Amino acid sequence: MTTIRRFCCEDLLRFAPVNFDHLTETFNMSFYMSYLARWPDYFHVAEAPGNRIMGYIMGKVEGQGESWHGHVTAVTVACEYRRQQLAKKLMHLLEDISDKIDKAYFVDLFVRASNMPAIKMYEKLGYVVYRRVLRYYSGEEDGLDMRKALSRDVEKKSMIPLKRPITPDELEYD
Amino acid sequence: MTSKPGLAGGIPERRVRPIWDAVDSRQFKTALKLSTALLAKHPNSPYAIALKALILERTGRLDEALSVCLEAKELLHSSNLNMVQMDDLTLSTLQIVFQRLDRLDLATQCYEHACRKFPNNLELLMGLFNCYVREYSFVKQQQTAIKLYKIVAEERFLLWAICSIQLQVLCSSGGEKLLSLAEALLKKHIASHSLHEPEAVVMYISILEQQAKYEDALDILSGNLGSLIGIEVDRLRLQGRLLARACNYTAAAEIYQKVLQARPDDWGSFLNYLGCLLGTDFSWSTSGSSQLCSSDNVVFQGCKSTNLPLEVFDSRIESALSFVQKLQMEVHDGLARCPYLASIEIERQCRLRGKTDAKLLEALLNYFQRFGHLSCFASDLECFSSTLTQIERAEILGRFIEISESSKLSPLKKLGQAITIFKLDEVFGFLTVLPVEAFHLVLFLIFLVLLDIPPELVETSTKMVDVYCKNLVLSSDLDPQENMHGEELLQMASSALVMLYWRTRCYGYLLEALLVLEFGLNIRKYVWQYKLSLVHLYSYVNALPLAYEWYGTLDTKNILLETVSHHIMPQLFVSPLWSETSALLKDYLKFMDDYLREAADLTFLAYRHRNYSKVIEFVQFKERLEHSNQYLAARIEYWILQLKQETNTLEEAECILEKLYRGMQLLELSSDEKLNSLTFNEDLQLRPWWSPSSHVNYLSEPFDGVSACSRENLVPIAGDIGLPRFQASGLAILQYGHCRLFLTDNYRLWMESLAKYPARNRGSTSILDSLFQVQLGTRGRQEQLVGEYKHQACENGNIVRNVLARKSLVPRLIYLSIQSATTSLKETVEPNASEKDANSNGELRFLLEKYARSIGLSFDDAVKLIFEISKGQRSFKDFGTDMVVDCMNFAVFLNAWNLCSNHPLLLHQDGVNLISWNVVENLVNTCIAEQLICARRVLDGPGSNLPILVQLITEPFTWHALVIKSCLRSMLPLGKKKKKSGLSDHLNLRHLSLVSNSIDCLSNGIQKVHKWLEDQMNGSEDSRLDILLSEVKVMQSVTGPGSVLRILEECASSSHEELGERIYGALQLWSSTDVIRKLVNSQASLLLKFQDICGAKLKMLEVMKRSF
Repeated sequence: MTTIRRFCCEDLLRFAPVNFDHLTETFNMSFYMSYLARWPDYFHVAEAPGNRIMGYIMGKVEGQGESWHGHVTAVTVACEYRRQQLAKKLMHLLEDISDKIDKAYFVDLFVRASNMPAIKMYEKLGYVVYRRVLRYYSGEEDGLDMRKALSRDVEKKSMIPLKRPITPDELEYD
Repeated sequence: MTSKPGLAGGIPERRVRPIWDAVDSRQFKTALKLSTALLAKHPNSPYAIALKALILERTGRLDEALSVCLEAKELLHSSNLNMVQMDDLTLSTLQIVFQRLDRLDLATQCYEHACRKFPNNLELLMGLFNCYVREYSFVKQQQTAIKLYKIVAEERFLLWAICSIQLQVLCSSGGEKLLSLAEALLKKHIASHSLHEPEAVVMYISILEQQAKYEDALDILSGNLGSLIGIEVDRLRLQGRLLARACNYTAAAEIYQKVLQARPDDWGSFLNYLGCLLGTDFSWSTSGSSQLCSSDNVVFQGCKSTNLPLEVFDSRIESALSFVQKLQMEVHDGLARCPYLASIEIERQCRLRGKTDAKLLEALLNYFQRFGHLSCFASDLECFSSTLTQIERAEILGRFIEISESSKLSPLKKLGQAITIFKLDEVFGFLTVLPVEAFHLVLFLIFLVLLDIPPELVETSTKMVDVYCKNLVLSSDLDPQENMHGEELLQMASSALVMLYWRTRCYGYLLEALLVLEFGLNIRKYVWQYKLSLVHLYSYVNALPLAYEWYGTLDTKNILLETVSHHIMPQLFVSPLWSETSALLKDYLKFMDDYLREAADLTFLAYRHRNYSKVIEFVQFKERLEHSNQYLAARIEYWILQLKQETNTLEEAECILEKLYRGMQLLELSSDEKLNSLTFNEDLQLRPWWSPSSHVNYLSEPFDGVSACSRENLVPIAGDIGLPRFQASGLAILQYGHCRLFLTDNYRLWMESLAKYPARNRGSTSILDSLFQVQLGTRGRQEQLVGEYKHQACENGNIVRNVLARKSLVPRLIYLSIQSATTSLKETVEPNASEKDANSNGELRFLLEKYARSIGLSFDDAVKLIFEISKGQRSFKDFGTDMVVDCMNFAVFLNAWNLCSNHPLLLHQDGVNLISWNVVENLVNTCIAEQLICARRVLDGPGSNLPILVQLITEPFTWHALVIKSCLRSMLPLGKKKKKSGLSDHLNLRHLSLVSNSIDCLSNGIQKVHKWLEDQMNGSEDSRLDILLSEVKVMQSVTGPGSVLRILEECASSSHEELGERIYGALQLWSSTDVIRKLVNSQASLLLKFQDICGAKLKMLEVMKRSF
């Protein structure tokens, strides 16, 4: 029961039940609004009957040449609506836009190395751990850079895992 | 962005780079040194000067920064600079500094000047446009954009102009005629250049839609331009919406069908589809920016019944049904709920049309079979709850139970179904009517027999906890990050226990309600629903420090501060927890101020990235937050808190008042215009049912099914009026968009009983009739009801406005009162002073009148009221509790006004002596006495009048002490006794004794409270602990407080390793005694804080006393 539509500012006033989740970060306003201002097609929300917010995905598209890619900055679902594959739907939407509209080569995302449930879910969706980013989260926890190739990357080159971990300052994008 | 390569503001870039590097790495000393060197070489370069200003601003030397900036501005204006020196880099550097100094106007002037000088320079014009964006000057934005467009006919500049026009129409009182101008501009451009950006097309359609030119908009959408909208579903939804607005419902329904074929789970589109098919009245969002993200277009879920002839209605329903069945066949993933919920909605529509066959029940059963185990099942059905009679609800629940018992599902799914059934108990309102043991009202009994409802509420709560405990093993392998199975059960059990407390007043139930949640958090610490409930429960049982602690664990920040701080902020405002209040207020205000400062830059970002619909959205959103009622409240409370804290000396208070422009600032902030445009952004959905808004707490009222839902309690909370839906959590909530209206489900049951037993139908009021009509879905009555609710929403807004208006007066009243006290006792009168004093006195009187009005009284009536209370002819008890503090404030300021009024009130019989001092003293004595008589021990349960006592002492008593201090300062100008002439000696002596009495009176009053607090904390921690434990650990075989706790204890003591290391470990650590001990300590710490404040006040009064 999911009306998926573009996220808008007013949704920020109603997303508390989603963002109270301890793994969902509430960013500052300029963060959300920069995303809305720059990549509105990468920021979608799912609504249930009664206009309740079920979850949302925010992301962007960036990079040059063969590293032109979609990026999932956050995807989250309220606990009431979990175990219904909503995250999968939202991810597919972003992948679809990256693939068909922006012709990107791959989609990537970062996940806490300790967040096993999320890692498993991304793996099910076809993502692989491309590389480990040491102490990516607040200088403490490692992050995993996970990737999934899109149709433009025919040979799936973007998904070949790197052998050694990298440090955050080696990242191409923040 | 230099105009010439290699040059920055006319200076070689290599010379400038090191300065920027130093600034970026925050080495401001080095930066300043380099900048001085640069200035020595280029003394007349505006860029070099601007750089210096930037560094000065970063190091906090704001005045210097401003004067250096002004120097640069002067230079830009005066000399014949060439274009290289007046480039965008120079201007934007200056702009940054001016913006940080809050002088956007000066930055704009610089750009305006530069653009006059070099009118065809694109960079400069874009900079100027940006300046106007920052100032929200839509007209000037439009003019500048048009200039840009004339220089280069680029699509983006045209769209900048179009956005600026839209903003004039939507956000200021720009005429609608502007829309046709926008349309003409676009048409002309399209003819020669076409459009290339999807967002440009969206804007074009929006301009047409706002002018009701739907057909034109549809032509655009189906032409080449329409194909620019990349997401097909977005395009279709837009098309459906335009068709529906053009009243072409048949075509619209077809389009929504297409959407549903692509997205079978799109509930919003289904409602639009059905609405179009049945020709339901629509109310569409008309906001210009919302086409691609408007949430639900259909209001009230098509509840307004249709006017179609019956046979047409039937055939349309038929086609809807077959379409939905087709969708059901096509969807194979077993997860799409929409096609099945759609069947229920179709049947509901039939019922609204008067058809009462059993298909609705069938559809519901089918839905349960498929999705009954899902966590969201109950909330999916909430919208339909109102369609069902109570008998049907009971029947459905019974059938669900049967299905659940006979199905061969996995234990997980079975648990899910069990939870759903418990939830529906709540949604359907059975929890409110379940009898507490031995509490059987006749009416309830009749219902029980009729409906076959499970017997006892106590049992329900114990059963919920029991099911949770027994199913813990299902979660043994879960990652701690994951939600545990059955987590909702504890939340619901807690809610049922609160209901039990409300109905029985047994404190034990309330303690159990919080123990249950603590138990759950002990097992998994991330459950925010538990935490939020605990915030409210601990606040209610006078353990605010603990509530604050739990609130802290929610990690509320950024925009959540605006939407959820209402869970704790109002309690803090009336508490002695000053540092916590201050921290929260600072965080919140910083968030809002930062956002409002940067909002325009983000808008410009949307302009630059050609996301024009976001431009409009951002500006509207900024306006919404800027007018937030909480933002205004926080700004007022912040300063009142400062005044409360810094009143040891008069000078400290005066210093704060100076910062507030002698209190004028807050008056300006709460002008009528501002109060009338307040917005309500609080997310009230997450509040517990018993406290649906921060000024409503049902638990403080006696439980009475009927009176609890009296007309007065049908209070809409906030926000825009949309249309209603039912929600329930013990109480059914009628919701109009963001605005929630409450009525208990008992009420509905009662109404149904009235219908069934007309003989009982006595005293039914019109509102009762109205609600009954809602049950039956009668259109006319609903509309009438909507009108009433709108009226009540207005009234609620008025309450908020009144409180804000009243509070915003306080600092100015304090300031004028201090002045008044000073003037009245001055020995020498300065020349020209008397006119100024008379003005101040006049203003004080004017504000007192306003103050009186805000509590619903005329000035004369307010004076009469406090006089009568002081004489003992009336009591504070005759009024609401808030009135105590307001009346005290009024009396204090009235006395101050009286001191130097030419026509004083409250004179003694001798016509000379003022008795307003005595009035204040009598009121102080009366209110303290009244409050302490009815004050119950904090330990004995909720409902203490601690907040009132805190307010009295920290507000009116404190303001009165300031008035006294001001008198003392005038009487003893140097703080020493002086020889005075006979007349002033006489004056002083008379006043000294008045003042001295007043100090004694305040001192006595506070002393009594101090003593009361001391008595509260008598006895050891253990003895207090035992008292509370005895409330819950009653060893009874029958049900009652304690039975839920027994299950928890048993669960903890019988835990075994199969539960997994984490759960097992947590259960081993569980101790209900520890929880209660923390509660007791938290209560003590709250009392202690208040006692400290009282102590400090007493000390201050002692010092005052000793000064003469």
